[in-house]
Amino acid sequence: MKSKRSIIGTIILLSWAVVSIWPIWYFATIALRPRVEIIAPDPIYWPTFTMETWAKIWEEWPMMKYFFNSIAAVAGSVFICLLLGIPAAYSLARYRYKGREDIGNYILSTKMMAPVVVAIPLYVLFAQMRMLDTVWALMLVYAAINLSIVVWIIRSYMIDIPHEIEDAARTDGASDLRILWEIIIPMCLPGIITAAVIASVFAMNEYLLTLIIGRKEAYTMSIALANFKGGSDGIIYNAIALIAFMAFFPILLLIILIQNHLSRGLTMGAVKG
Amino acid sequence: MTAVTLEAPRRRRSPLARKLFPYLLVMPAVVYLLSITLYPGIYALYRSFYGGKFKLEWAGLDNYKQLLTDYEFFNALWNTMLLGSITLLAEFALAMLLAALVYRDPWVKGFRIIFLLPMLLMPSAVTFIWKLMFNDGRIISDLIKRIGLIDFNIDWMFSPALARFVVIFTDVWQWTPFLFIIFVAGLQGQDKEVEEAARLDGASWWSTFFNVSLPMMRPIIAVALILRGIDILNMFTPIQLITHGAPGGATETLSYYINRVAWDGPDFGYASAISVVVLILTVILAQVLVRRYFRSGTES
Repeated sequence: MKSKRSIIGTIILLSWAVVSIWPIWYFATIALRPRVEIIAPDPIYWPTFTMETWAKIWEEWPMMKYFFNSIAAVAGSVFICLLLGIPAAYSLARYRYKGREDIGNYILSTKMMAPVVVAIPLYVLFAQMRMLDTVWALMLVYAAINLSIVVWIIRSYMIDIPHEIEDAARTDGASDLRILWEIIIPMCLPGIITAAVIASVFAMNEYLLTLIIGRKEAYTMSIALANFKGGSDGIIYNAIALIAFMAFFPILLLIILIQNHLSRGLTMGAVKG
Repeated sequence: MTAVTLEAPRRRRSPLARKLFPYLLVMPAVVYLLSITLYPGIYALYRSFYGGKFKLEWAGLDNYKQLLTDYEFFNALWNTMLLGSITLLAEFALAMLLAALVYRDPWVKGFRIIFLLPMLLMPSAVTFIWKLMFNDGRIISDLIKRIGLIDFNIDWMFSPALARFVVIFTDVWQWTPFLFIIFVAGLQGQDKEVEEAARLDGASWWSTFFNVSLPMMRPIIAVALILRGIDILNMFTPIQLITHGAPGGATETLSYYINRVAWDGPDFGYASAISVVVLILTVILAQVLVRRYFRSGTES
């Protein structure tokens, strides 16, 4: 179908593009504007840029710490997810055994757990283990949130690999683990990368549980920005914007990397797009 | 491969070991997930029978009795349903409209990246963007004033309808791309020829879309809406950062309410009782949805 888009269609698309981009652009300028310009009686649309606020924010808040907390917690959680998720996905994709369907469904259904429901028990648990306010606790929690997604995405890619390749290796006497490591993993690398990226984004974004576990030392970017209230200054939007974009650009790069696998990843393998 | 051949023949494993092997592979993940789903569930159940702030006091079913007559709980439940369904419907309609407009377009990749951008910001950051736009920076009011519709600044937190609108708008702005991406992939994945055949029979663009493309998309739509629906039901960030449930509890969702009971009281016992109820509802819902829609959509 040659799309002869109507004028109305074009207008709709362009307006949504503006609605998507303009607030982001406006917020990006916020990071570099003097504080008086941000909450003025009448909004000021043409920014005057200054590096002064930037320097001040950098002095006042441990921005790098928030950044590294996020990166460490996210990276650690993705590592745990892959370590536990790849064998699980392999098992679900390649073996026939009793209870396989139920195990697969159970793993998937953990995705539907409401974070707020597990918040109190996890708080109590981590308090007893003296792990509150540590990056380690965040790592474990993020891994738990994302494990179901990781397993299902990778499983969907593994199912697509033809059995013949494995069978050939098996006749050559390769062990199952060796087949997983030397054949399956390299062949479904796009799936593994997709799963890792999507898990990273979700972990980076996590808010409710992070809020409960992180008190001060383990502040990540997603909750640090909610805390930028400087007494008489009110909410410090410069700092919020700065943190927002410190997280935005790495995520943008990762997503561009997997853009052709994105729909498949977001639906946990249900859409092969 | 040669290295593998040289090592052969390898030791053979016993039949039992072969049988247990797949379980062994999947077990670590299952154990890990059980520890964060089963354990919290059991703990919440146990805690829900106790009152007291930090020292536990046996309360029996008191917490559950309180729940039955708790106006705020039912209000939060209602809000979650109301906000959730409007948000989901708006996101669905918008995403489908946008997807239908671009999926055969040569510029589709460009549009996809642009429309995707809001989704890549952290939800807490997005919340502050719109807090600034609506409330603190009065930018939305200013823009409407420039068009000439009003000559005053709107107080968005004043009426329940407006406050709800802000919350819904924030979610729609950020998460419509999620559905959009999936719908575009789904529409692109379907057979071009079926569409063309319908076109040749003289069907209009809209009728082709509604009668041919949309029905074929049904499983994909179901999966996408379930995934988005779960997240929407857990909506928390915009409530906590923009409205705090105001005005008069009009935007208080279940997540926000449980969180408020747990930490403002703090009343872990009562919050646990509500959690248990929510948990039971989710487990039932999850079982139905997973079995019904996910298998069919993923089995190849």
